[in-house]
Amino acid sequence: MRDFELVRPSSLAEAIALLDTEDGGVRAFSGGTGLMLMMKTGVFTPTSLVRLDGIEPEHAAIGIDDDGSLRIGALATLSTVEHSPIVQKVAPLIPEAMKRLANVRVRNAARIGGNLAHGDPHMDLPPVLAALHASVRAVGPDGERTIAVEDLFAGYYETVLGRGELLTQVIVPSQAGWASVYHKCTTRSADDWPALGVAVSLRVVDGVIADSRLMVSAATEKLTRLVTAEAQLKGAETKAETFARAADAAVAEAETIDDARGSAEYKSSLLHVYVRRALRDALSRGALQ
Amino acid sequence: MTLVKPMPAGQVGRSVPRLEARQKVTGRTDYTHNLTIPGMLHVKVFRSTTAHGRIVSIDTTAAGALPGVHSVITGEDIRKVVPEPYYGPAFHDQPVLALDKVRHVGEPVAVVLAEDPYVAAEAVQLIVAEYEDLEPVFDEVEAMTSKAIVHDALKPAGTFADLKHVAAHRNTNIALDYHLRRGDTSAAFAAADHVYEHEFRSQQVMHTPLEPMVSLAEPGDGIMTIHTASQSPSFVRTEIARLFGWPENRVRVKVPHLGGGFGAKLYIKLEALVACLALMVRRPVKLSLTMEEQFYTITKHATTFRIKSAVTSNGVVTARHCEVFWNGGAYADIGPRVTQKSGFTAPGPYDIENVSIDSYALYTNRPPAGALRGFGIPQLVWAYESHTDLIARDLGIDPLELRRRNILKDGRPHATGTLMQDAAIELVLECIAERMQWSAPFDRGTGTVLRGRGIAIGFKASISPTTSVAIVNIAADGSTNLYMSTVDMGQGSDTAMAQIVAETLGIETETIRVVRPDTDVTPYDMATLGSRSTFHMGNAVKMAATHAKEQLAEMAASLGLTPGTNYQTSDLFKKKFGMQAGNVIGVGTFIPSYKSPDLATGLSENVTPFWMIGGTGVEVEVDTETGHVRILRMVNAADLGRPLNPKIVETQLSGAAVMQLGFTLTEKMEMDGGQVTNASLADYKIPGLHDVPLVMENHIVQANQHSGPYGAKGVGESATFGVSPAIANAIHDAVGVRLTELPLTPEAVFRALHAASKD
Repeated sequence: MRDFELVRPSSLAEAIALLDTEDGGVRAFSGGTGLMLMMKTGVFTPTSLVRLDGIEPEHAAIGIDDDGSLRIGALATLSTVEHSPIVQKVAPLIPEAMKRLANVRVRNAARIGGNLAHGDPHMDLPPVLAALHASVRAVGPDGERTIAVEDLFAGYYETVLGRGELLTQVIVPSQAGWASVYHKCTTRSADDWPALGVAVSLRVVDGVIADSRLMVSAATEKLTRLVTAEAQLKGAETKAETFARAADAAVAEAETIDDARGSAEYKSSLLHVYVRRALRDALSRGALQ
Repeated sequence: MTLVKPMPAGQVGRSVPRLEARQKVTGRTDYTHNLTIPGMLHVKVFRSTTAHGRIVSIDTTAAGALPGVHSVITGEDIRKVVPEPYYGPAFHDQPVLALDKVRHVGEPVAVVLAEDPYVAAEAVQLIVAEYEDLEPVFDEVEAMTSKAIVHDALKPAGTFADLKHVAAHRNTNIALDYHLRRGDTSAAFAAADHVYEHEFRSQQVMHTPLEPMVSLAEPGDGIMTIHTASQSPSFVRTEIARLFGWPENRVRVKVPHLGGGFGAKLYIKLEALVACLALMVRRPVKLSLTMEEQFYTITKHATTFRIKSAVTSNGVVTARHCEVFWNGGAYADIGPRVTQKSGFTAPGPYDIENVSIDSYALYTNRPPAGALRGFGIPQLVWAYESHTDLIARDLGIDPLELRRRNILKDGRPHATGTLMQDAAIELVLECIAERMQWSAPFDRGTGTVLRGRGIAIGFKASISPTTSVAIVNIAADGSTNLYMSTVDMGQGSDTAMAQIVAETLGIETETIRVVRPDTDVTPYDMATLGSRSTFHMGNAVKMAATHAKEQLAEMAASLGLTPGTNYQTSDLFKKKFGMQAGNVIGVGTFIPSYKSPDLATGLSENVTPFWMIGGTGVEVEVDTETGHVRILRMVNAADLGRPLNPKIVETQLSGAAVMQLGFTLTEKMEMDGGQVTNASLADYKIPGLHDVPLVMENHIVQANQHSGPYGAKGVGESATFGVSPAIANAIHDAVGVRLTELPLTPEAVFRALHAASKD
């Protein structure tokens, strides 16, 4: 590894200016837990790392809006999010998923914005946040925009973020009336990256599924919303047959991939099982008030 | 004044906290990784990207021109200084840097030296090598007959007495074949009520010591000092002296604590390279491997084991044929010895009249394989205990009962003809059965979660014949040092050996200081391997302490003191030398008796100084929809003679079992064209806390090794033996499918379930 520059801007604007360059060796650095692995293996050789932990502290703040939606600053560490009473109140699924997300050391260092911007399809938060209908705020040289988490990923380790564009905030709407579950499946050690992640959110009215959000990750090239499976659920009764139909649809639409964690075929079979189980568990868990 | 508290009894058998524990947890322990020496150069290695090829050219120009680079060195440069730069414990087959050919991906081809390791690493990227690709061979069974030949000629080292017969064969990948013939297997198979034949495979895995290999060579005036994380300082000294053509006393090998070894740091690894480089550049040279590089340095043998048994209708095994193929990778390391030493226990701890064994060590174009916690035994037990279970199931006999009917009892001859002695096989089996409540009703689960249980037992012969020497030095104030070259790599040997000294001398263990291995200071020891230290070094240490005690008694007698009267050791010295002066040096040298197996029949009446027995029982839960296996309960039991330190013994048992659990469920070196595609801890998954069985028990059975120090013998490997087959047997018990290849992944279980449902 060559020498590289480590810069620590004191404002978001300054950071954006530093990152607005054609040099592919310039990257934003928040917790570094993902980037350091890439540097270690030689996948990424930096010329300059723009360290974000010196910018305005508001970008690490966690708050709640009048409409009940949660705002998490992109620089909040995963463990801050995990232990935040506000997060626990609005979206308890997030801290629940954190318990098996990497390990304490990683959660203490990694930040939620970096976790999403890294574009790694094996992460746990993208399916969780997408199922919760979350969106992100991104600020770049051309201004500010809002992107739904489900639309953030363009491919394997790719996002839709442009040059110099940084995530500033994760917004999770009120979950009142929704029941959500995340199931992570590892096929090697328990602390391995998932072979499959399935997140579901259900809104059930009088025993009928009014609305649902189904997400799969890790087994696919990028976070994938299972829209035909959701269509199977819409207006259907909450029974095992419905869930099985949704699982069939999920398997048909999700393009699973082979890797050391399992064959594509096996992951599709796992997807079937996990969609059914996640729907069943979401139903039995019941909606948030 | 008494510095040393008298301690009349109870040093042995007491759970003395580890002597080095405080140092370690407060970060004060020395490790080779932390050592720097003024003027030191760092080494980075340029490695082969091809599995088998002839070296056409190596272009080091650009690397050498990079600012900050001291030098770039290839195998040919080494050859100018050391004419025959090949090393290895069993065969002198491994070049310090590749010469003429490369034989596996990751083989060191050239090195860059620089004061800054990052500069050296960058320069390595600038080296260009060209190879003429040769056909590779990766599979151990294919290697028996393949056209691809890894080594043109075999080069046995002659270091080990029992490998002397390995002749310089040509055009073969068989580094060593071991055969055993006892009784008449053909007749027994012909007359058998039932014949069972199965094939089992195990995968290539790595030791993953959390301290990767590291060595530092420091040249001096006619001497070479090597600081290294090694399990065998004496062997390193001998081998470096041989390579250099020097007398041994000009090579000094110093070993601090190790961050794990498990067999990875045995014999000679990086030491030859750093010593040659230091000799060439006349500066201290340090090489610290990354975790990733370790996957290309030493691994555990993948195996194929074909096992065939003749069995009577009431479950008595009358004959067994074992054919074992060991995938040794590109260099023999200690593989040939594994082939023989483990090979002869392939039929298992059973009393079988007619036995034949064919065991082959094979060269292939994979990273080299050597010893890993069990020395080949876990691969064998995996096969024979899976096989035992299949026989029991087919005959409708309870698997525990079938084992009882065939178990090898003390006084009965083992397959080699050696009579079993101090081998509590039956006790281990019965201990597991009792703890598992084997005869009680068992909840088999419902729906998609089914439960099952399995047991397995195994045994191992200690390696032999090997030597250990120890020195006990009593200072004039009565305080005591123990000098030995046993390496404490985390197993607690310093503490256990100090307990032996303390028990013998009647002093407190905690007051003894153990001197770390340093070949200028501490005497010879063959190596810290194969659970041999407690027995071999333990005996030497006890002899040394006894020798010192005898001298104290003589001193007392010469001073006219009556034995048993109330004098202190320090009083003796003061009286004898007129002041606090002098030493008493006790020396002990131990080598057990041994008879090398007959070359034609493989038989010997004295094949091992002691036996290690271990077994495991598990209860598992299988998710029939996903194939996931959860270990609800694991019971390990072992015969280790009398435990010197029960607490350390228990951690040795649990550590060994959890390590083998990883080799059973999650670990596998994934290969693509000879390249390891998961060579990092991010992608090669060793067990974490959440993978440890929910309930885990470790039992020490009541036993005594009469020839061992205070009745003790080795324990480091025993709990690895039964883990893999016990789990496969339990999966079979739960869901009716049999897996014959490790690791037992959820996908493998899932596929087997699907295949079964289609039948």
